Amino acid sequence: MTEFSDAMSAAASGMRAQATRLRHVSENIANADTPGYRRKTVSFDAQVVQGRDTGAVETGPVRLDRTALARVHDPAHPLADADGFYDGSNVDLMVEVADAREASRSYEANLKMFDQVRQMSSALMDLLRK
Amino acid sequence: MELGTSLVARQYAATRDATAPDPGTGRGLAGMAQDFATTLQQGEAAAMGAMTGRADPHAMVQALAQTELAVETAVTIRNKVVEAYQEILRMPV
Repeated sequence: MTEFSDAMSAAASGMRAQATRLRHVSENIANADTPGYRRKTVSFDAQVVQGRDTGAVETGPVRLDRTALARVHDPAHPLADADGFYDGSNVDLMVEVADAREASRSYEANLKMFDQVRQMSSALMDLLRK
Repeated sequence: MELGTSLVARQYAATRDATAPDPGTGRGLAGMAQDFATTLQQGEAAAMGAMTGRADPHAMVQALAQTELAVETAVTIRNKVVEAYQEILRMPV
């Protein structure tokens, strides 16, 4: 049983990690028009518990994208400087949507694996039934 | 050939060792039952946690799926054991 339960917890950790990624993507999209906002990125690491590799994935600390902020020309804006420019966010909606789509596909793959493991384990027990 | 009572008693005493229960076989089953109980408790705790907003839904789904498999395994094994017992009872004596 332990192989099946390990596979299930690995798939569940993958789903959790993709859900975290999707959360940061939606935070980025929500703040796309916030002046001075830097987009958040999250790294995936192999989970290590007490020095042993569990085979699961976990999300690392949130990092901020260091690319330059967009210079927006709007002289009427309260934050605008003498030239009429202010710092916008460095969120690119195209990149965020692509990232969200990738997270969604990866989530589906993990979900499929979870269901596959459940079906295999159930089919094994079906052998004992008549 | 006539069998004396004492002879029958001696034969019975000699074969009793073969039919005595082996204390070793119960231990594995006891460990499995313990694992089963632990899995069930984890599933219940995860379900309660998810209902009150403490656990994330992934943990709840994982715990409940594992509980489902554990219950399925336990029920299948129990059915098999009961079936074997009934098979013994049906044995012509």
